[in-house]
Amino acid sequence: MLHSLLVRTVISYLLVFTVPLVLPIAFFKLVGLGGLRELVTYEAKDTPLHRLDPRLKVLYPIAMGILSILLTWSFMLIVFGLSLLPWLWLRPSRQRMRVLLVLVIGPALGGFWDQGMYYLPPAPVHFLYQFPWTISWMGSPGITTYGMIFGLEQSARVLVVVSTSMLILISTDVGDFTWAFERFGAPPAMGFALTAALRFLPEMISRTTLVLRAVELRGYDLSRPRWFQFGRWPDYIRRAARCVVLVTVPLLVGTLRGTTTMAMVADARGFGANRKRGSLRVHKLSAVDVGGYVVLVVLVAGALVLNHLHIGARYYG
Amino acid sequence: MSPGEVVLITGASGCGKSTLALALTGLIPARVHGELRGRVMFGGQPLSGLAPHEASQYVGLVFQNPNLQLINMTVQSEVAFGPENLALPHSEIESRVGWALDVTGMAGMRTATILTLSGGQKQRTAIAATLAMRPRVLVLDEPLSDLDPVGAQEVLGTLRRLAAEADTGVVVIEHRVDEVAPWADRIVLMDNGRIRLDRPPRGAWDDPAPWIATGVGIPDLVRLAHALPDAFPGEAPLSVDEAVATLRGGWFATALASSAQDRGTRPPKTQGLNAQPFDAQPPVLSWHDVSVTFGDHKAVDDVSLDIGDDEWVALIGANGSGKSTLTGLCVGLGTPASGTVSFRGQPIRPGRVFEHSAHVALLLQAADEMLFAENVLDELEFGFKFRAKPKDPVLDVPGAIEFFGFAGQEAVSPWELSQGGRQRLALAALLVGAPGVLVLDEPTTGQDADHLKAFLSLLDQIKERTGLTVVTVTHDMRSVASRASRIVLLGDGQIQLDGTPAEIFANTAELARWGILAPPLARLQSELLGGVDEVHLTVEALAAAVQPYRPTPVRVNTVQAK
Repeated sequence: MLHSLLVRTVISYLLVFTVPLVLPIAFFKLVGLGGLRELVTYEAKDTPLHRLDPRLKVLYPIAMGILSILLTWSFMLIVFGLSLLPWLWLRPSRQRMRVLLVLVIGPALGGFWDQGMYYLPPAPVHFLYQFPWTISWMGSPGITTYGMIFGLEQSARVLVVVSTSMLILISTDVGDFTWAFERFGAPPAMGFALTAALRFLPEMISRTTLVLRAVELRGYDLSRPRWFQFGRWPDYIRRAARCVVLVTVPLLVGTLRGTTTMAMVADARGFGANRKRGSLRVHKLSAVDVGGYVVLVVLVAGALVLNHLHIGARYYG
Repeated sequence: MSPGEVVLITGASGCGKSTLALALTGLIPARVHGELRGRVMFGGQPLSGLAPHEASQYVGLVFQNPNLQLINMTVQSEVAFGPENLALPHSEIESRVGWALDVTGMAGMRTATILTLSGGQKQRTAIAATLAMRPRVLVLDEPLSDLDPVGAQEVLGTLRRLAAEADTGVVVIEHRVDEVAPWADRIVLMDNGRIRLDRPPRGAWDDPAPWIATGVGIPDLVRLAHALPDAFPGEAPLSVDEAVATLRGGWFATALASSAQDRGTRPPKTQGLNAQPFDAQPPVLSWHDVSVTFGDHKAVDDVSLDIGDDEWVALIGANGSGKSTLTGLCVGLGTPASGTVSFRGQPIRPGRVFEHSAHVALLLQAADEMLFAENVLDELEFGFKFRAKPKDPVLDVPGAIEFFGFAGQEAVSPWELSQGGRQRLALAALLVGAPGVLVLDEPTTGQDADHLKAFLSLLDQIKERTGLTVVTVTHDMRSVASRASRIVLLGDGQIQLDGTPAEIFANTAELARWGILAPPLARLQSELLGGVDEVHLTVEALAAAVQPYRPTPVRVNTVQAK
């Protein structure tokens, strides 16, 4: 029975389409635009992580990203584990944690799924499940064990960077980023651009939410069908896509007006008056900072040494 | 302007107030293009040729919308932004930030995140950030527009203190003349790009003609003084305290007490405080035991409220009291943690905005965000692309074009209309769908007296023509007093008072407790009578009420209300 063409076809279609369907639903249900706003919003707290040297915080995701590229899978797992440790310091709120988990698990699941189907190792290939010819138009012969493992590895590498960047984003005042960039010799405009982007991203998300509400109030149907109303989903997708066009004009007009005001505010507050800026912040290196720098240097140096000794280094051929 | 002087600049929308502010701060001609004639001088120093960052150290500008001018994430980094740009030493930046936060009363919020601040706190942060540039003159463009009445008084108090203690000149550009006038040393009335009047507040309304001609409202207390000149033998009062001091012990106070006593012997009204309107039919809108929570915060706390046919209900309350959350529920925006919301007995399902917007028309404060079509006609037809046209509507599309004054403008882009025109268009587009109730969220914010009067008249006409129930969320107590048939006061997410405007505005102490200042006339009556069940809400009604009790009949002057 399980080996009949019909059953195998049904199972294959479920395997292929469940993940792409579940991921957007999970995003809308558990994250949504409000959740994205949460994600990029600085959370003022008094934790060691918040007090850490901003320069170290800028270097941290960069260094972890480099490590994730250099090392092999088993060493990668250690890096991944290390990247999760600082979250224990931060103790984010449950709501933020939910958003973070969706955004971490989602891409991991996606990578795991697509590489499992489309990454074909050299023969002999071990299929976890081989698709029948009825789904051959999808271009995948089936799900391979090696592909799934490969997908997990790739996802974990991306997640190291995502996790560390998110950690820094919500524990660092944008002004501290600007301060760090300026200490690294970057022009003030770069810090200002980053500040403006991070400050107004939540505003932009709020405005998008407002305009989407407004379009519904004007009679546009954006109500989502229930998951089992398969016949209504194509129409919903069509309506949602058309809505993007509709809301673009008010969003653009509002944003352009906002940026004009913001530019005048920056002018009025003397931005660009001097090549070097002063700073309210004076950072004295603490023991935690020194410890952080030591760990970072040891990690990067260790990875480079291992790489040089061909231990734990990825094979590029 | 002299050091430490507070100048109120007012005038109808589009009269040139904001343009003048940009010129004062050097942003015209540096950033806004146009032809500039004449010069702005600071002492002997011409400001017009300076770069904006140089001019801003003489004249600082606080823009209208605090959300757009707060660039940083925390209060202290926002305030430090300007001094950091000037490359000042750390000790000087620290000193300026501390001073600016102290002066504006924001020292306790130094490390707070901007996104968590209330409207008043954001406005004070914007003022602090501008002050940190140490300007000698501070210009504020409509600083009160998003503030509740108590928040507005806090900001005005801050500005007065700044002028008195730091000798900073303050220019306030505002439509809310009656709120700012008591704090100002001088009032400038602009009309069509020119200064029409420039006088101290005491004499600013001696001749009401320019005010009436420009469409800018005259404060009620001044109108009362003009209507009853023998009750106000000296100058017209600018504040309730001044009016009370003048009237206490005089014939007006005695006549008012006699009038109130006689009124108290009349049979009581059927609907009083906290009364629910009785109606055999299901109420138009009904909230039953509704609570809404955001994280740990209870925005709406166990509210039960019925709104019946033909009512004009005003929901008032301080910023964050739950007004907009409550009204959003009636069209499916937001999900109650408990309780039910219904329209004509039919439950409102959370998230089904499309479905419920056919019955409940909600005009957002940001009416611009509600326009999506290429021209006026398409805008009015927009909703019918997605749902059927109503049968026999009171207001169809051609009728709406005529009624709202868009005849001949059908092909015009909504973005070419004035702000008032865009608001009317958004309202018209909602009404052609023949809803059963009209809900307005802060519809009169930032409007001058003339536009406000026109908008309220339009609502009167709509109500007369369509018989719609109107629910409005507002901070504008004058429009509430003149139009609403019922007021519901929200505080801490709960209904604190519910009654007619005359009853509600008599509770000045309770209103103040919940962040609301009753209109000056109501506070005056309350102060003079030491507590009263009902108050008169218009100058005409108050003058007529005391007239029969005055010692010798004297002619009552009339001054046109705006």
